[in-house]
This record gives sequence, C-alpha cells and structure tokens, in this order.
Amino acid sequence: MPAWLTPRRIATVLAAAVLLVFPFLVDAFWLNTAAFIVIYAIGALGLNVLTGLTGQVSLGHAFFLGAGAYTAAVLGGTYHVMALWWILAAGIVAAICGAIIGPTALRLRGLYLAVVTIGIVFIGQHIFTNVTWLSGGPPGRAIPTPQFGLAFTCPAEGCALNFDQPQNVGGLTFDKNGMFYYLALLILVLGMLYVRNLLRTRPGRALQAVRERELAASLMGVDLFRWKVSAFVISSFLAGVSGALLGSLVSYVQPDFWSLILSIQFVAAMIVGGAGTIWGPLLGSIVIFGLEPVMQKYAQSLPLLAHGSGGGIPVSSATHILYGVAIVVFLVVEPLGVIGLARRAGRVLQRRRIAAAPAAAA
Amino acid sequence: MTTFFQLFVAGLALGCIYALVALGFTIIYRASQVINFSQGAFLLVGAYLVSWFSLDRSYPFAVAALLALAITALIGVIFQVLVLRFTVGQPVFTVVMITIGLNIALEGSVPALFGSTQRSIGDPWGSSSVSLGSVVVNWDSVWTIGVTLLILAGFFAFNRFSRYGLAMRATAMDEEAAMAVGLPTRRVHALAWGLAGAVATVGGFFLAGFPNSLTPTSDAIALRAFPAIILGGLDSPLGAVVGGVTIGLVEELTAGYQPNNAAWLGTNFYAVAPYIVMILVLLVKPYGLFGRRPAERV
Amino acid sequence: MSDGAVDVVADAAPVLAASGLTLTFGAVTAFTDVDLRIGDGELFAVIGPNGAGKTSLFNVISRVYRPTRGAISYRGEDLLHRRPSEMASLGIARTFQNLGLFHNMSVLDNVLVGRHHLMRSGSLLGGVYAGFAQREEREHRRAAMDVLEFVGIADRARFPVQVLPYGVQKRVELARALAMEPRLLLLDEPVAGMSAAERTQITQLVRRIHAERGLTIVLVEHDMGMVMQVAERVMVLDFGRVICVGTPAEVQHDANVIRAYLGEALEDAS
Repeated sequence: MPAWLTPRRIATVLAAAVLLVFPFLVDAFWLNTAAFIVIYAIGALGLNVLTGLTGQVSLGHAFFLGAGAYTAAVLGGTYHVMALWWILAAGIVAAICGAIIGPTALRLRGLYLAVVTIGIVFIGQHIFTNVTWLSGGPPGRAIPTPQFGLAFTCPAEGCALNFDQPQNVGGLTFDKNGMFYYLALLILVLGMLYVRNLLRTRPGRALQAVRERELAASLMGVDLFRWKVSAFVISSFLAGVSGALLGSLVSYVQPDFWSLILSIQFVAAMIVGGAGTIWGPLLGSIVIFGLEPVMQKYAQSLPLLAHGSGGGIPVSSATHILYGVAIVVFLVVEPLGVIGLARRAGRVLQRRRIAAAPAAAA
Repeated sequence: MTTFFQLFVAGLALGCIYALVALGFTIIYRASQVINFSQGAFLLVGAYLVSWFSLDRSYPFAVAALLALAITALIGVIFQVLVLRFTVGQPVFTVVMITIGLNIALEGSVPALFGSTQRSIGDPWGSSSVSLGSVVVNWDSVWTIGVTLLILAGFFAFNRFSRYGLAMRATAMDEEAAMAVGLPTRRVHALAWGLAGAVATVGGFFLAGFPNSLTPTSDAIALRAFPAIILGGLDSPLGAVVGGVTIGLVEELTAGYQPNNAAWLGTNFYAVAPYIVMILVLLVKPYGLFGRRPAERV
Repeated sequence: MSDGAVDVVADAAPVLAASGLTLTFGAVTAFTDVDLRIGDGELFAVIGPNGAGKTSLFNVISRVYRPTRGAISYRGEDLLHRRPSEMASLGIARTFQNLGLFHNMSVLDNVLVGRHHLMRSGSLLGGVYAGFAQREEREHRRAAMDVLEFVGIADRARFPVQVLPYGVQKRVELARALAMEPRLLLLDEPVAGMSAAERTQITQLVRRIHAERGLTIVLVEHDMGMVMQVAERVMVLDFGRVICVGTPAEVQHDANVIRAYLGEALEDAS
C-alpha cells in the first residue's frame, strides 16, 4: 500500500462518498432523520469548539439555538428575507449573544460556569415564552422554509429556489428533505474545514492552551479574555445557524423546545462522538439524535418498548435510559468517544501491519 | 401582612427542601470533589418509591419512607463503587457529565417503572393544616421545616463529633494524606453518596407532599436547587442551608408579589428569579457567598 | 537585613532589579526583604533549602503573585504595573517546577504556543488558512523545529506530551520558553527529578543557551552541583531571607550558607 493511503484518508474518502450519495439510496423517513442529524451536528460542532477545544463547560447551548431560530422566524417569516441572509443573521445574532455571555467565563470556573449556563437556558426560555412577538408565546410560531434567490427579500410568489417545491437537476429530483440535507451538509463541511484549519494554526492552539493551563497560557501571551470570548462567539454562531435550520425543518416551534434537555443532548453528542475532534460532533449526533427516531420507528420489533396502546416502556424513557448509560459508559471506558475507539482500532491495525511486515518481507 | 407571613412560611418550607438537596450536593462535593447532577433524580426516585410502597403496597408510611431511603442510598453507593471509582484523575467535566448521564438514565427509568400519571405521595398529614392566628399553614410545611432542622442538626453533629464525620472532612481536605493515615476513604466516599441519596429522598417526600403531587418531572425542582448551592458555595454545608433558604424565600415572595407589582417581568418569573439572583451574586463573588477559591499550586 | 546591600554588581541598567521584596500569606511569610540586581546577560542562581521561598520569588517576578511589599523593575520600568499576560511581550519567559505543559497537545504544538505572541493570525485568518496565515504558520513551525533540534528532541515533535518521560517533558518546557525569544529566562528547578546523565545534559544545554543566545538567565535550583558549574553569581535564601550573595566560590565557603544547609550541629562540632 502506498504511504499516502493511510487508514485515516481512506476513512475520510469513504465517509464523504457515503454522505454525498446517501440521500438517493434511502426513503423519506431516513432522509428526514439524516437531515435533522446533520443540522444538529452543526450545533454540536459549535459546542465542540467551546467545550471540547477551549474547555469552557456550557449547558447553555439550547439558548443560542433558540436565538438563531427566532431571528430566522422574524427575518424570514415577518420580513420575507431571502434564506441566505436569515441563516447568516441567525448565526450573527446568536454570536452577539455569545459575545455578551462570554466574559462571564472569565470570572467563573468549571462548575460555577456550568450552573450559570443552565441559568441562561432558563432565563432564555422565560424570555422566549414571554416576548410573544418574537416567539409566538407558549403556543409557538412557524419558521419559514428556506427560499434562495438573487434578491434580498423574496416576493409573494416565492424566490427561485423554494425548498417546499421539489427541484430537478440533471435528471435527479431533490425533495424538501433532500435539499435540507445537502444545505446542512454544505454548512457542516464548511464548519469542519474551518475547525480543522483552526487546529493547525495559532488560534486553535490558543484555545486549547486555555483549556489545558490558563496560567501558563497567559504567561505566553495568550489573552484569556479574547480567546474565551472568541470560543463563545464561534460556538454561538454555529448554534444560531443550526437553530435556524432546525426550526425551519421542524417548521413550527414552541419556546419550551429550547430546553436544558436539548443542551444536554448536545453535550452528550459531543462526548459520544469525541470531544475536541473534528468528526466527533457528526458521529455523536448520529448516535444521540438518531436514536429516538429509530427507536420510534422500530418500537414494535424491539423488546420492552411501548407501542400503540400496548404496555411497556415509553420510547422517550427508553432513549433517555440508553443515552444516559451511553454517556456513562463512554466516559468511563473511552473519554474520546467514538473517535477514540476508532483511533484505538487504528493503532491496533497499525501494530498488526508492522508485525506482519517483517514476516512478509522475509 | 398575613400574605407576607404565609409566603414567608411557604418560602421557608421550600427553602428547606432546597437546603436538603443542596446539602446532599455539598456532602458529595466535599468528600469526592464531584458535583452530582443526579441529586434531582435521587429525589424523584426516592419520592416515587415512597409513593409506590405506601399506596400500591399499602405499607405504613414510615416503613415506606425508610425503605425508600435505604434503596436510594443504596443506588448512590452502588453508583459510586461501580462507576465513579474508576474516574479518579479525570477532569471534573468528565465526572459531571457522568453524573448527568446517571441523571438521564434514572429520570428515564421512573416513568418506565412507575408510569407517567400523576400520583400522590401518600403522606399521612396530607391536606391538613394548622392556623397560627390568621395565618394558615400546611402541616406538610411544618413537617418539612421541622424535619429539615433535625437533619441539619444531626448532620452538623455527625460532621463535628463522629469518627466518620472527621474522616469525611479529612478525605475532603486531602485524600492522599487521608489514605496515608489509614482512613477508609472508599467507605467515606460510599458513605457520602449514601447520605446524599438519603437526604435527597427526604427532600422528595416533602416536595411531593400536599399541595403538590408527584409526576415524572417533579425533579425539575432540583434544578432550582442549583442556585441555592452555588449561592452558598459548593463546599460549605452552612452555605447550602443559607443558600437554600434564601432561594426558597426569593421564589415564594417573588411568586406572591411580582405578578401584581412587576407584571412586565413576565409570567412565572418566580421560576427564573433564583437564577438571576445567583448570577448577580456570582458576578460579585465568583465562588458563592461562602465558598472559597480553591488553592492552586503553581 | 540582606547581605545583598553590599553586593558588588554596579552595572548600569540592570535587567532585573528588586528592592525590599516581601511576600506573606496571612501569617506565613514566603520571603522578606529580598534585594536583587541582575545584570544584562548574567547567569544568576537562587538557591536555598526546601521551603526557602525560591519558587515564590519566581512567581512574584513573573507577576503570578503580587508582593506584599517592595518594588521590582525590569529594564528600568516598574514591573508591578504589568499583568501576567504582558510577560511574553516584555520578553520574560519562565518554566515551572511542576511543569506547566499542555498535556493533551503535541510537543510541537506546545512549543508553538510559545510563539503565540510573535504571531498574528486570529480566528478569521487562521480558520481560512491561506495566504498570510499559511506563510506565518510555516515560518514559525520552522522556528519551533529549530528550537526542538537545539534542545535535542526534534524527533518527538509529533508526540502528545503526556506520553513522554519526565526528562523529555522538562526539555519540552525549556524549548517552549526558548521559543518565546525571551530576553530574560526564568528557570524553575530545571533538573529536579532527573537522573545524573540527564542532569549533565541539561546543564550543558543551559550553558549553551547562555553562551550562544546571550540571554539573561535566572535559575532556581536545589542541586548545588549544577549551580556551581553554570552560575556567575548566586543568591542564597534561607527561611525567606537572603543570607548571602556572591560568586559560587564565595557562597560555597560562607559560614551562614553552610549552617543553613547542614544545620547547627556540624558547626558546633567543627
């Protein structure tokens, strides 16, 4: 095997191929689930920058998603702005919120910071519930489907590319789920490239140094304020975009959706996938956000689960139990999540290759 | 004025529940440097067990209560021994997430085992109340405050005067030194978790007592205990109590007065008021009112 | 009253000067009334028995602690008005007694954090990784590898720091400090916990650094052997007080120093 064909490269190419071709191989249920997973993965990628890379514990992610979603609702819904702009705006508004909250991370450490972020989720939910023009109050509000065109706003008939209408490109049909999937995938890939670049340059090292040893980092000239706030800004931007797309795909959202449980799911996805890694957020999202829909679908065939009017464990409880256990098991056995397991497997394979080579040469 | 007193007593009772949850956190934190996010789940499981034993199995309340205490304490001990022991040396965040994982799993198992309908906890004093002048107070509140005071007194005595109390304090200060001196640190950790589970369960009884009922989301209240813990400082039992009572009072008084006087703050503002108070305090004192900045060796 | 008052260095513009430095933590005194005058390019050692206050002194100089009393100046400017995050740009680098390495990062990345204050790319430029960011990255990686070569661990560049043996880790810490291109290097027990062979190697390295790079080096050490070999002047602390300042030879024969290290009994016996 040529040297440049490392297991990692092969895996990446395979993964890319699967991700690209996937929508044409599956039915609507799986495509819809996949679209959700990729959208969630964008948010998980953001959290990974804040917590995985920079070590700032945050259970407040749901708030930033909500902020993004409502920005999209107002700009896209009330003002009919074109999707590209409301997606960007969602990220920017959430990023601004992140910049405001970020400085608290300077004063507060670890657990104290975590609890403040919990407070932010609750305060956020309170604001969302009570500011009715923003969120529609407790009953909720609709979030528009993306429409892309060349103008700033979309006319009444809709813009050129409307996700509600299936599009035909070169013989291939893209329906709503498919278009969401590819849009989210594009954004996710751009995000992953961005994070990869951060990791090989000064900013990525600065963030990690903050995570590892603040004092030593500070003595080397790493400005703790600037980098902690940057981590919040990057993380919140991605969360805002994720929230906007999420709201849009769900199409109707109530304020109590942006809850602590949602934040915890993101943390779980980050951990199970592998904190601080690039592919981790996507892998973790597949497990955490894919579990419930899959279990719902197969409730009849799986033992113990309640379905229809029969008895048994409600699916939501079962999913909770499963990923509660998953979090515990991963953290005890392999804190670097699925990526950590993959790396271990990679090392085992490498050792076998080295062990086999002399025998082959002999 | 009567409104004020009624709210005040309700606030004290609620504050006592928070103080119990906060005390449980503090016990574990001082012994194991871990913050146990599943304290709320212990509360929930404990309350459900009492309800099940006393209503579904018709055991006398006291027996049901003791059984529930024993079982939740046992769950805490098992978790410590089977899982947490293997996470020594991991970053704090990892351990916190593990306790969150336990929380999710326990919360999920409650509706699975006991169903999701509302239920009563089957307490013997139920809806009865007593009048002190023109103020009407639930017996439940009275018992809450009374039992909490007893538990707190008991805990302080244990901490100060008993051998295991001393062992716990020593382990909290410097585990290696404690081991070197021959203290049974494993038992200390197990004891801490057992105590915390038991204390949470007691909180659960009172929480689900009249006029409340028990549902699978009753543990959400434990989340409001967080501001209490943080306010008091993670490593101070006195702080846990002061923090708990403060938050309880803030909540009840806000619930009573805010809708009429500051309606612009929104409905159910009392639910977020504790968090706002906590954030404001932390901005001034980043380690809570009574917490101390952990010493770092450079 | 410290003997430092009669020390000989009368150089113009000392790099580091301190007078009356005192640090107390409540009832505990780390050190009292320490005076320092360190000239440009000097190799100055601070020694003393355990608990004498040496690392605390370093922490005060690098602004990690605020002294209870006293003044410090660096290149003529008051250092007490500066924050820890300004140390790098001032040209002050330090190593830590208990290692301040970034454990989950590679050796190369650790050293590259040392270059942080010499680089410009932020979250926007770095995230795009083209043009300026790319060029800057290549240039500084080369510089970091050069430092690693100098220190002798270039072959371990890609390893995560936490899997490396202690001796190598100490070298990474040294490389990282050097990579900052400091003018004043503070080394906190650079050979602590090392084998005899490693100690010799590090001692040579410190000598080379001093000779080739013309840095001012202040060294805190326990190991008399190393200190006597490399230091130009030595200051002895005991129980937080300066008991002697002078050349290694002078210090070795000073009665107070001998008593501090060996105790009263020997003195009486002789």
